Amino acid sequence: MPNHTLCIDTSAGTSVAVLRGAELLAEFNDDHNMGHTEVIGRAIATALADAGVASHQIKRVVVGRGPAPFTGLRVGIAAATMFAAGVGAKLFGVVSLDAIAFEALSASEVPLLVTADARRSEVYWALYSGRTTSGAPICIEGPGVIKPAALEEMLSERGINPMRTELPVHAAALGQLFEAQLIDGIESTDLSALYLRAPDAVPTPGKKVSG
Amino acid sequence: MSTFSIREAAETDLQHVMQLEQECFAKDAWSRDNMHFELLAHHTYYVVAHEGEQLVGFAGLSKVPGNDQADIQTIAVSPSMRGRGLGKELMLELLSQARKLHASEIFLEVRADNQVAQNLYHGLGFEHIDTRARYYQPDDVDAWVMRLKFATSSIGRESVVLGIETSCDETGVGIVRGNKLLANVISSSMDEQARFGGVVPEIAARAHLEAMKPTLDKALAEANMSINDIDAIAVTNGPGLGGALMVGIGAAKALSVATGKPIYAVNHLVGHVGVDILERGVLQTPTIALLVSGGHTSLLLVRDLLNDVELLGETIDDAAGEAFDKVARLLSLKYPGGPEIDKAAIGGDPKAIRFPRGLTLPKDMEKNRYNFSFSGLKTAVARWVEVADAKGENYNKADVAASFREAVVDVLVSKAIAACLDHNVPRLLLGGGVIANARLRELATERCAANGIELRIPALHLCTDNGAMIATLGAQLIMDGREPSSLNFGAESTLPVTQVQSR
Repeated sequence: MPNHTLCIDTSAGTSVAVLRGAELLAEFNDDHNMGHTEVIGRAIATALADAGVASHQIKRVVVGRGPAPFTGLRVGIAAATMFAAGVGAKLFGVVSLDAIAFEALSASEVPLLVTADARRSEVYWALYSGRTTSGAPICIEGPGVIKPAALEEMLSERGINPMRTELPVHAAALGQLFEAQLIDGIESTDLSALYLRAPDAVPTPGKKVSG
Repeated sequence: MSTFSIREAAETDLQHVMQLEQECFAKDAWSRDNMHFELLAHHTYYVVAHEGEQLVGFAGLSKVPGNDQADIQTIAVSPSMRGRGLGKELMLELLSQARKLHASEIFLEVRADNQVAQNLYHGLGFEHIDTRARYYQPDDVDAWVMRLKFATSSIGRESVVLGIETSCDETGVGIVRGNKLLANVISSSMDEQARFGGVVPEIAARAHLEAMKPTLDKALAEANMSINDIDAIAVTNGPGLGGALMVGIGAAKALSVATGKPIYAVNHLVGHVGVDILERGVLQTPTIALLVSGGHTSLLLVRDLLNDVELLGETIDDAAGEAFDKVARLLSLKYPGGPEIDKAAIGGDPKAIRFPRGLTLPKDMEKNRYNFSFSGLKTAVARWVEVADAKGENYNKADVAASFREAVVDVLVSKAIAACLDHNVPRLLLGGGVIANARLRELATERCAANGIELRIPALHLCTDNGAMIATLGAQLIMDGREPSSLNFGAESTLPVTQVQSR
């Protein structure tokens, strides 16, 4: 019998799904890109209840690593880490843009450009050339963070005219991508958050206060 | 300061109780016979408050043996005493009695238009559960029915509580059983902050995420427990840095859902006060608490840990720890500044330079008696150093460090002692990372002894931000029969000390 998997992504809104193997049992989505902290507990509890799955039945937890604006992303990764610790489940990480590509590629030609709002007038992006036999998207460039105009310039310089998607991340896609990665033997236990930006802090020399 | 005293009512109080009854409830006062019966009945408990000889308030509880529900029958406060906390004191007395009588829930009715009273009841944990239309006559006003639930099954039981603290730059996980410390593990991102000379919120939040699981594992190992041995989870939800708090809250909520254990969202500052329970088994109240860290400088009057913590004052600009960091930087010393200034001050003369004591002038003492300000002091030190440098003077850094430190410590201790004396509270409790400062401990010890004030300084690992203090506060809430928090609370950067638990 396939294992139960809990999938969490907070790179944009809050999305939590419970799967049995690749089969989706329940999904909870809150599209707001704020309030992850308030929503996350109820999101997990609701998805489990809707799936009719008890927490201790969860054997694997898969979490989206972004890229994403910092604050919300961390809530999902912290929650996934502690949920796994709480039930003794195995923990895996997936690039959130790969999950978007996984969902989009079932209906799209390649190359495929995935973009997501990075705030500060920038976008996160990654470029995909196709899929493995199990369906996992093949990323040929990215993920990165860039101004939209600079992204367009780069694409036209290189003569690439990709299909495009700005789908939101669905935790269900995260889980299905993970199943494909398992088949390909490329699943990852790397949980590090993809911030792609350094913290806004610079060492200061101090300023004069007199004269 | 509260000058009233509260005691159980006697039959001889009837006349004065009736006078106040008629004064407070002119249109729908109880009859003298009714009141007489209430005071004498076996299933009721009435208390009266006096200021001097004057009866200024009363309140009554009804609890029939065998029935686990109790009712607040009435509460009256003399108009001259309103806004001074007497209503709350009376309520606390009744709630405490209800607990002793093993009530599991307690009900009251309040006028729908009496928002002041509703706020009081909300603050004590009552919820509005029903409305009775046109209950109060002849005014034709609705009544709110409000209820407070005690979780009786947990009262008195010693729960194992795991506490998670991420409000600033220390990731703390602590485990307690009741009043007993089982584990206290702290991971600090101080080294990463050092090159910025202070706490950078984003760096702190990133470090919390990475440290969370290893810190949890270490704490469980220290307590020799598995996660299944935990009965409840407590987490700091404020005050603190928003992004940092969110990591701990996300972690705690997921752990709660995963294990099915209840979660308690608790106040960081009240946690600093409650930690004394781990060393003494009990928090002696009333006490003044001086909490000094890189993020806070607060003076609290604690009459009751869970029910009555009052903020007397706090810093209006920099926290004291921040002032140490900033002055350390301008003296070319390392971060964190506290221990570095301590080292640099060795052999220095604390009276060499008279740096200003913020908010201590007579004109400040009215509005800012218990508030602190360190921003001007920091600037004064910077200016003094710049002027000396410009003149090419070869000054003694030890004198500057010692004089600066003396100015900070003098203000902190003076205001704390003043708070003790003003409120007639013979105890002072210190908390927060800056308590590590040797001169602060020394001066506090000296001045407390001189004023007959008992000084409490918890062990340093309990003074700095830590998970054990959060677990302790959670355990106290459980032992007091409080309901767990919902899963819906968020991070509250400016959570007031009056809110011990967030729902």
